Amino acid sequence: MSYVLKRIAQSVLTVYVVISASFGLVRLLPGGPLDYLRAQAVQQGGSDLSMSEINARIAAQTNIAVNEPIYVQYADYMAAMLQGDFGVSTRYGDPVMSIIGPAIPWTVFLTATALFLAFTVGVSLGAFMAYKEGSSFDVASTGVGLVLNSTPGYVLALLFISYLGYRMELFPTGGRYASELTVGFNASFLGSVLYHGALPIASMALVGFGGWALSMRGNSIRVLGEDYLRVARLRGLSTRRIAMRYVARNAILPMYTGLMIAIGTVFGGAVIIENIFAYPGVGFYLIQGINARDYPLMMGGFIIITIAMVVGITVADLTYGVLDPRAKGGGSRESY
Amino acid sequence: MQEHRTQGGPDSADPIIEARNVCVTYDLEHRDAMVLDDVSIDLRRGEILGVVGESGSGKSMLANAMMDAVEEPGITTGEVTYYPEDGGEPVDVLDLPTEELKEFRWEEVSMVFQGALSSFNPTMSIRGHFEETLAAHDYDVEAGMERARQLLGDLYLDPDRVLDSYAHELSGGMSQRALIALSLVLEPQVLLMDEPTAALDLLMQRSILSLLADIKAKYDLTILFITHDLPLVAGLADRLAILYAFELAEVGTATQIAHDSKHPYTRALLQAVPNLDAPTDSMRPIEGTAPNPAHVPDGCHYAPRCPLATRECHEETPPWVDVEDDHRSACFHSDEAEDAVPFDLSEVSDA
Repeated sequence: MSYVLKRIAQSVLTVYVVISASFGLVRLLPGGPLDYLRAQAVQQGGSDLSMSEINARIAAQTNIAVNEPIYVQYADYMAAMLQGDFGVSTRYGDPVMSIIGPAIPWTVFLTATALFLAFTVGVSLGAFMAYKEGSSFDVASTGVGLVLNSTPGYVLALLFISYLGYRMELFPTGGRYASELTVGFNASFLGSVLYHGALPIASMALVGFGGWALSMRGNSIRVLGEDYLRVARLRGLSTRRIAMRYVARNAILPMYTGLMIAIGTVFGGAVIIENIFAYPGVGFYLIQGINARDYPLMMGGFIIITIAMVVGITVADLTYGVLDPRAKGGGSRESY
Repeated sequence: MQEHRTQGGPDSADPIIEARNVCVTYDLEHRDAMVLDDVSIDLRRGEILGVVGESGSGKSMLANAMMDAVEEPGITTGEVTYYPEDGGEPVDVLDLPTEELKEFRWEEVSMVFQGALSSFNPTMSIRGHFEETLAAHDYDVEAGMERARQLLGDLYLDPDRVLDSYAHELSGGMSQRALIALSLVLEPQVLLMDEPTAALDLLMQRSILSLLADIKAKYDLTILFITHDLPLVAGLADRLAILYAFELAEVGTATQIAHDSKHPYTRALLQAVPNLDAPTDSMRPIEGTAPNPAHVPDGCHYAPRCPLATRECHEETPPWVDVEDDHRSACFHSDEAEDAVPFDLSEVSDA
């Protein structure tokens, strides 16, 4: 139990340090965001705006009150962040949370589906390759897996959008769903969501499954040669039980941490893909923020992605012991 | 002198497993991948038969062949017959259909491996192993688990503690005993033990051996005990069979083999084994190395290393010689062995 608390405290500390660092970046960079925002405000408002008005506007956007002493600035900033107030986007004029918040489910939809497909297909294929070790199927799959795993997702995405999207006009080239549809649980809306998501998901899943397949193959071959597998066969266990409870379980285990880190990237993992397909998710707004020098939006995007990553890894650490008794935390179980 | 080449070890009145001309090979067409060469031996009901040989002499193959468990691509030929208790129908083990073989293993003949830690699934509790074994053989799980607790208790383990543990939480000796309990949970008649003490320290080896004797008496078992440690098993076994380079060299009672061996290899082996009671300078290594399965010598496999070897030994397979009652040696020079390889073995057999 103390291990769980310790591990959670570590993660909280990590997030705290990340947010503090973001304060440092925004506040201290010379020629950084504050100067930029001030220049912007002066340009827009001309000489009508007094210095204090400009400062007030900056404070609203970034949660940093430039007039106050730095420790007050820091305290205010942290307090706002902890309440989920990431400031106001300079480009859209809306609070950052109200832009990124609604985008999160869409990004999660894309990346989670892609990850799920890549993982399940990869693991099944890898296990099958291991059983057929050395066959031409194994050799061919290893080759395909290697090639796909070495291909960057955006290359595939660019091919997809230019051929399937623009030239052959089989798939939409942007958006989350057809704009004329009403949002709701009806077939045409859900169909449109899948239709718009198909290419981004495919370009992520296709480059992803090869890696899972290759690790699963290697792990399974290792497990198949273990003594306990031979003993299990001699004990007369069913093939099914051996495949699931012995081979699959012990082969997937080492991949679990990788999977959890991948789940952590689910929130921000599709930055480039979302931009290629003009799909308004977290990554899409992140790039928008960067391009428009929209610091609050950018920082909000960064922080949300970081937090998601930290949570993913923490969950992985905390649940690993449930799956693998050897990793049960902190020596809480005794050995005889 | 009588020739008994095809019979190997002496006949028995009441064998439980009868192995005849058993060969294990990895290549049927050529004879150069033979890892068990024409071995015939009886496992007698209720005995402990010690099988002794160097690493790679085919000991494990013999045990595996007895439950038709030689792994692919190994091929087992010859005959293995199992005689159930109370005169049931004899079972031709090597010809059993897959499903019946599955039942036969663990229910009639069970096996304990060396390296108990790696014999358990690391992500499953010891209890899980017992339960799945009982379930796979359609045994009553509840009654079976009661028996498992009994067995673990007999092996001086705390049943509930061990059952709730994972393999990595047990010490070497504990997991070896847990594995013995697991192999007995379906109440088999025969227990094949493949170097069950090789990974343990000397004290634990002794204590496991004495536990084995108790367990054998209580559960009415027949045990085949494989080891490379002749003195270790000499005190426990009723009979000993010595394997050299995939062939049987000598078979006899433990006392006969330890005191009165009529095979130069057995005598040299006894001389080569370190012993706390004997001075180190009485130890003699056996010159040369054991042949590998691709280059087995013609004639007697031991001839190239044997001080008694003559032309005959290099050219012809030695016949089995009845040197005493129930004691056979496969050597042309069995009557000279004692003088050629002198050794006082009295300390060894007391160990």
